[in-house]
Amino acid sequence: MANDKEVLLDVQDLEITFYNGKTPFRAVKGVNFQIYKGETFGLVGESGSGKTTIGRAIIRLNPNSNGQILYKGKRIDGKLTKSEKREVVRNIQMIFQDPAASLNERATIDYCVSEGLMNFHLYEDEADRQRKVDEALSSVGLLPEHKSRYPHEFSGGQRQRVGIARAMIMEPEFIIADEPISALDVSIRAQVLNLMNKFKEERGLTYLFIAHDLSVVRYFADRIGVIHNGEIVEIAPTEELFSYPLHPYTLSLLQAVPMPDPVIEKQKEVIVYSEEPRDPADGVPTLKEVRPGHFVFMTDNEMDGYQAKLAEMIKEAEKQ
Amino acid sequence: MENNNIPVEETVTDEIDMNDPSLFEMAIADDSESEHITAPVYSYWGSVFRRFFSSKIAIAMMIVAATIILFAFIQPMFSNYSPMVAPNINNKSMHYIRPFKMAGYPFGTDDVGNSLFDALWAGTKNSLIIALVSTLICEVVGIIVGMFWGFSKKVDAVMIEVYNVLSNIPTTLIAMILVYTMGGGFAQLIFALCVTSWIGTAYFIRVQVMIIRDREYNLASQCLGTPTWKIIINNIFPYLISVIITSVSRDVPSFISYEVALSFMGVGISQEYASLGRMVQKYAAYMTTASYLFWIPVATSAVICVSLYIVGQVLADASDPRTHMV
Repeated sequence: MANDKEVLLDVQDLEITFYNGKTPFRAVKGVNFQIYKGETFGLVGESGSGKTTIGRAIIRLNPNSNGQILYKGKRIDGKLTKSEKREVVRNIQMIFQDPAASLNERATIDYCVSEGLMNFHLYEDEADRQRKVDEALSSVGLLPEHKSRYPHEFSGGQRQRVGIARAMIMEPEFIIADEPISALDVSIRAQVLNLMNKFKEERGLTYLFIAHDLSVVRYFADRIGVIHNGEIVEIAPTEELFSYPLHPYTLSLLQAVPMPDPVIEKQKEVIVYSEEPRDPADGVPTLKEVRPGHFVFMTDNEMDGYQAKLAEMIKEAEKQ
Repeated sequence: MENNNIPVEETVTDEIDMNDPSLFEMAIADDSESEHITAPVYSYWGSVFRRFFSSKIAIAMMIVAATIILFAFIQPMFSNYSPMVAPNINNKSMHYIRPFKMAGYPFGTDDVGNSLFDALWAGTKNSLIIALVSTLICEVVGIIVGMFWGFSKKVDAVMIEVYNVLSNIPTTLIAMILVYTMGGGFAQLIFALCVTSWIGTAYFIRVQVMIIRDREYNLASQCLGTPTWKIIINNIFPYLISVIITSVSRDVPSFISYEVALSFMGVGISQEYASLGRMVQKYAAYMTTASYLFWIPVATSAVICVSLYIVGQVLADASDPRTHMV
């Protein structure tokens, strides 16, 4: 179904290793996924599953130890020339999780927002720069008079909007949003999400939306990848994933969301996911397509089981 | 009067039809209203000075330090004091005059009949110059090296070994050997004081840089394509201002004491220059017979050290923006 769309970002066998002294730790183990132009791809997983690490690898903050990252068919990982790096920065931008930590407290909002512009001199003269900053600020609902202020004078939601303005002023095509609303007050989360949606519609942006909050991802993402322990275990369109979760980890993740009904909540049987050791004779598990657009991480001989499970789920859904 | 009021009110309520839409107008909710910040515009240095001048002891100490420094730089211009010139050396009656006993000699005279007042300010001036120049060199070299040291893992691997070696050699020993071999001039003494001290400052800055290097706003700057040198200048350096002021406020007094200590051991600045350390060393012999000769220079160096240290510490506190909010 998605094959006719243009692939914007292609992550192939991505592996990221951190070293604690000499001991290697593989935070991301051979991850594959594609993001199509104009869609919002949600990456969901618990803390420490490697979702932020993947986001940072795409924007070149973390070096990868294996695999490659293609943006519009061009490699953007590893060593790049200056002009290639410039292209990456101009096209890919990031919105950070904690707006308090991701703004320079000793710089004015004017500097924070125009930092990217000044790095590449993306303006004609000082008046043009001012105009661009004013525009970026008002597009996120802030006022031009805020330019002379410092980040600590703003509320959390305002700061996050400064963070968005800073990314948007670069006119990127692709945004990595690393839990952009996790650190925000519940009352202003919708405001930031709506703002991101507004930019998506206005500018045809593509998002990689990293989160652990399933309800937010369900609202915001078109397709979802579930990541566990550095491996993507399931990729499916949002509604398909919520209706027919196949991988046991996805199942337990969905089930962990509390229901606002005490009766159902008390009767709920909690599925605890524990990764069973696989028989090496079964082969190496990879992401396999159970039905078009729906991928599950498994070995070859598990395919029949998953397909039967899916058929059963569909049958049950039709009965209701 | 009271009777009149009641019917009037009734007629008013009768006339107004509360369902008439022309009586109402839509209230306009302006979202941008809530975005305004009413607090006065924040200025970093304005807040630093406000904070600094709210401390009475800091103001008092600053006046003391400023007076001594001004006096030390102005008075020798008029006295032209030199330890090598002693016009009263053969006039025994001019030797060992006690303080406040003779007009023109407020602190009395020394063993060769020179005014202690003139000697003191000339000595203070030289000691201050040595301390200030050494501090400047140490801080500039230390900050620049410390920034790269903290930022680059490769530089760190080399520098940490250099630090281990240099910091384990007693500084006094190095200074003594250098002054012995090069002679006791101004430049030589400053070189001897700085040659190992800068690494302490650099190490201090390195640790501070490492603390703030990996904060998220630096990653954000990297994502915006900011080159490392710009990150150092705009993201790291402003955070280090209070740390640097702390370091300076420790360095100046310590260099003054160091100069005194080295001169006291006889390896400081040469005889032709007055300095607090030289005076303390020379007059230590008269501690029992003419104790004012010893105590006045010692007290002066103590007052300079303490006042500069307190001013520096309060300024360092004031330059930490966390103190601006309360």
